[in-house]
Amino acid sequence: MIKPRRTTSLQRTQQCMAVLFILPALAVYGLFVLYPLLMSLWGSFFAWKGLRMQEFAGLANFSRLFVFPSGARLHGALWHNIAWFFGIMVLQNGLGLLFAWLLFLRGKGAAFFQSVFFFPAVLSPVIVGALWRLLLAPGGIVEWALNGLGLHQGSLTVLGNSHTALGMLIAVDAWNWMGLPVLIYTAGLRQISPQVFEAAKLDGAGNARMLFSVALPLLMPALGTLTTLSFINTFNQFDIVYVMQGVQGNPSYSTDTLVTYFYRLAFGAEGAVGITDIGLALALGTMLFLILGIGTLLMLRFFDKRTVEL
Amino acid sequence: MSALSFQQTLAIPQRLARLPGWIILLVWTAAVLLPLYILVISCFKTTAEIYDNRLGLPQSFAFDNFVRAWTRADLGHNFINSLIVTGGAVILTIVVSAMAAYPLSRYKLGWNSIMLGLFLSGIMLPIRLASVELFTLMRTLGLLDSLTGLILVYSAIRIPFAVFIFANFMRVLPSELDEAARMDGAGEVRILFQIVLPMVKPAVSIVAIFTAIAVWNDFFFPLIFIFDDRYKTVPLAISVFVGQFRTDWGLVFASLAISMAPILIMYCLLARQIREGVGAGGGMK
Repeated sequence: MIKPRRTTSLQRTQQCMAVLFILPALAVYGLFVLYPLLMSLWGSFFAWKGLRMQEFAGLANFSRLFVFPSGARLHGALWHNIAWFFGIMVLQNGLGLLFAWLLFLRGKGAAFFQSVFFFPAVLSPVIVGALWRLLLAPGGIVEWALNGLGLHQGSLTVLGNSHTALGMLIAVDAWNWMGLPVLIYTAGLRQISPQVFEAAKLDGAGNARMLFSVALPLLMPALGTLTTLSFINTFNQFDIVYVMQGVQGNPSYSTDTLVTYFYRLAFGAEGAVGITDIGLALALGTMLFLILGIGTLLMLRFFDKRTVEL
Repeated sequence: MSALSFQQTLAIPQRLARLPGWIILLVWTAAVLLPLYILVISCFKTTAEIYDNRLGLPQSFAFDNFVRAWTRADLGHNFINSLIVTGGAVILTIVVSAMAAYPLSRYKLGWNSIMLGLFLSGIMLPIRLASVELFTLMRTLGLLDSLTGLILVYSAIRIPFAVFIFANFMRVLPSELDEAARMDGAGEVRILFQIVLPMVKPAVSIVAIFTAIAVWNDFFFPLIFIFDDRYKTVPLAISVFVGQFRTDWGLVFASLAISMAPILIMYCLLARQIREGVGAGGGMK
């Protein structure tokens, strides 16, 4: 038995109005986000001559990505992104948990500290990168301070040294975004019922026990949000590298990331100046898209399973 | 007497126990504020003074560096471009996203959730990876070297987040609200802009704040779409300065200060809304 479909005039006008109302947003979003993204994924399976699409090439671009001369670049950039992610997890999301916990225990002044800690996050990564480039430069104030304290002698070249440059960039990125975990963890901590902490206190748990055994399992949604956001941001990392170390990821590609490598392939700064390799760039883009998509889904599932309900 | 001393013996170890925590918090406060303090005082110093007097206040608060950054390095021009792009993108994003969110959250269409899903999927999409095709598209449309082009791209990127926020706020408004207005013969456009939108002011401010921050700070899209100096935005100009005026530290510090001034002012005025917005959604970047 089929239900008779009666469309009232209100419903009909609503269908029409809805289409008219949604159209502007959908047109802008579809044209400038969805269309280029789908075309990029599609185009990664074709051969390219400059900015012109040639014949279908199957997985040829992808196999070129992994061999000489691209293989070493790809390997380096991927490894730097992974190191960057774990660095941020410890430096930013780990320290951030400590700060949030200390603020939560104190209560007083939390808003002030949160505002100060979050301030760098509203600044452009370009400003943050430029500022730290000046501070860390040879002859800059950090060198002066370390020399004055007797912790270091002579010229400070941490950004010019391929062993330390990546670590410095990760630290600058953590400085930039420290306020984010502090805000998200404190919002999470405030949602936990105070009785949980009181019960733990009566059982004689110290502050450290309370943080790791009581609060942390209940903070899984916050930790999940932060891990996913850090993952996405890390694998999109471009601005800080570009401003502090140049688009090549100096010195000698030691701070190169997947997106700086993508930029060089797409807009011509890799190898001979001005030569682009769109096929390689699109293949790298598709690979990054898959890494980000699969990684994000796995993380969301991982933290979803570990979410404790009280 | 004994009661008092008992209280004291309890209070002092408790306070002592809290001391390391306070020290940790204050160390990070210094780590955030010291670089910014150095940035501000260095703006008023000559390069020689920056080397001689590292931490002290400048000899005089001369605006020489600011004047040179604004005029000789032409930062004033970039500043106006950034204001136009940011203002344009904020207004366009709010208008089209509110329009789309209104029927999606308040009509029974049968396809609300599919359409919402299509918009929401854009929150996570790594749009930078589409920049090659986006470049080709912009060239075809004649939108390279154009502030309008930047406004359109930024709006497109921010629409998913804005639709998400507006739909969440509009969904919980009572349905009598628009029904009563409809009885009175108000058109749907009027209902949206004169009745519904004023009721979701917090959503408007969240969208406005986070769109403004993201657009003002972005550097990637001007880098690939803008070649003409006349259309460069502040972050793009700054990235050039850092190399170009490498030895003129006073000028670079002053241009950094100028470029962060609007965000700093906004942050001081709206710190509470920003903290709550991030704490609730985490949807910042």
